[in-house]
Amino acid sequence: MTAPYGATVLEHFRRPRNQRALERPTVVRDGYNPLCGDRVRMELEVAAGRIVAAAFTANACAICTASASMLTERLHGVATADAASISDADMVGAIGETLPAGRIVCVTLPLKALREALSALSPA
Amino acid sequence: MADFLDQIQRLRESERRVAMATLLAARGGSPRPLGAKLFVGEGGRLLGSVSIGGCVDARVVEHGERLLRGTRAERVTVSVDDVEALELGLACGAEFDLLIEPLSLDDDDPAIAAYSQAAQRSRAGRDVFLATTITQGEVRRVVIDAEADAPAGAFVERIAPPQVLVVVGASDVAVALARMARILGMRVVVVDGREQYATAERFPSGTEVHVGMPSELVRPWLTDGASVVLTSHDYRYELPVLRDALRAPVRFIGMLAGRKRADAVRALLRDEGMPDDALARLHSPIGLDIGGREPEEIALSIAAQLIAVRERKPLARR
Repeated sequence: MTAPYGATVLEHFRRPRNQRALERPTVVRDGYNPLCGDRVRMELEVAAGRIVAAAFTANACAICTASASMLTERLHGVATADAASISDADMVGAIGETLPAGRIVCVTLPLKALREALSALSPA
Repeated sequence: MADFLDQIQRLRESERRVAMATLLAARGGSPRPLGAKLFVGEGGRLLGSVSIGGCVDARVVEHGERLLRGTRAERVTVSVDDVEALELGLACGAEFDLLIEPLSLDDDDPAIAAYSQAAQRSRAGRDVFLATTITQGEVRRVVIDAEADAPAGAFVERIAPPQVLVVVGASDVAVALARMARILGMRVVVVDGREQYATAERFPSGTEVHVGMPSELVRPWLTDGASVVLTSHDYRYELPVLRDALRAPVRFIGMLAGRKRADAVRALLRDEGMPDDALARLHSPIGLDIGGREPEEIALSIAAQLIAVRERKPLARR
């Protein structure tokens, strides 16, 4: 528990926001990294094209857990179209520290699950 | 004790009929628990035992082979009567009462059907009882909910639900522990988030292997009497599982970790609001301190600790 993480990662890992299951999720999608075993589940409640609630469950490393926590904070009240435009670089920037290339996937795993959830909402 | 139905399954690989000896009573010595079983196949092949060292098993074999030639059961008394050994104080002088009965090994056999019914009912999570009466070579068994409901003079066996062992992390320690726990008659459930580790091929037959979110997979098993052992050696699974398991009415929770890492996990959970009495339930480092390093040796120390906890022995906690 003394990993050299920055203050933002540590804060969100120790006190994750929205780490729970929603009572009535509109859509749920899981993300999985087979290399390290990280698992994260993103849940969204959507009404009139806007995300009214976002939550997550993680059995994942500190960076992935922190990323999921920060992402759910960012999603509240956001239009689904805007949520879909959140980029990998946005999340990596939000983490606020220089990560080795091999850990970028930890940041983006919740985002990948979010994109799958949003795609399931509005099939092409 | 190995599960009765597992033993029947093994016997079916080589036998068509067996004589089953059940220990009804013992006087003196260090007997196996009442209800212990010895199966004698045609040709004297053996499975199980009704005495600690097998000292009377040879005598039982003689009766078994004789009874295999017919269909009737018999209640017999067998004693350790090696006079020379007794005089030297090298024999226990025990005496055993046994029921010996021939079984056909198909599902229609009344004894197998009765044990199957009892096992099925106990899987609901509570004890059931099997009452056996012997009248003129005829054996009757009935499954009852309370020992007090047994017919007069019946031999009553308690059929407890199998002890459930939930192993989080399909590591090499988990593989060895699952093998030992199966031998000890436990129902073993292995969960992991990593699909390349949690494969049925890595684990002994009869182990339930599940892949997914470990904290969710363990939740249905966090019941009274279950044991939870974390062998993932990785906080990504340990913390989410412990948040639920430490608040659940399980019998045992242990985590594979050195003292320093275990203390760090405790500190983090305490910081989240986990009460001290819940944290005190965590056995970590896990296992009796026998100095082992290999996965099999570590598994052995954990299996021994599970027994010590069940028997409420003081060495159960490090």
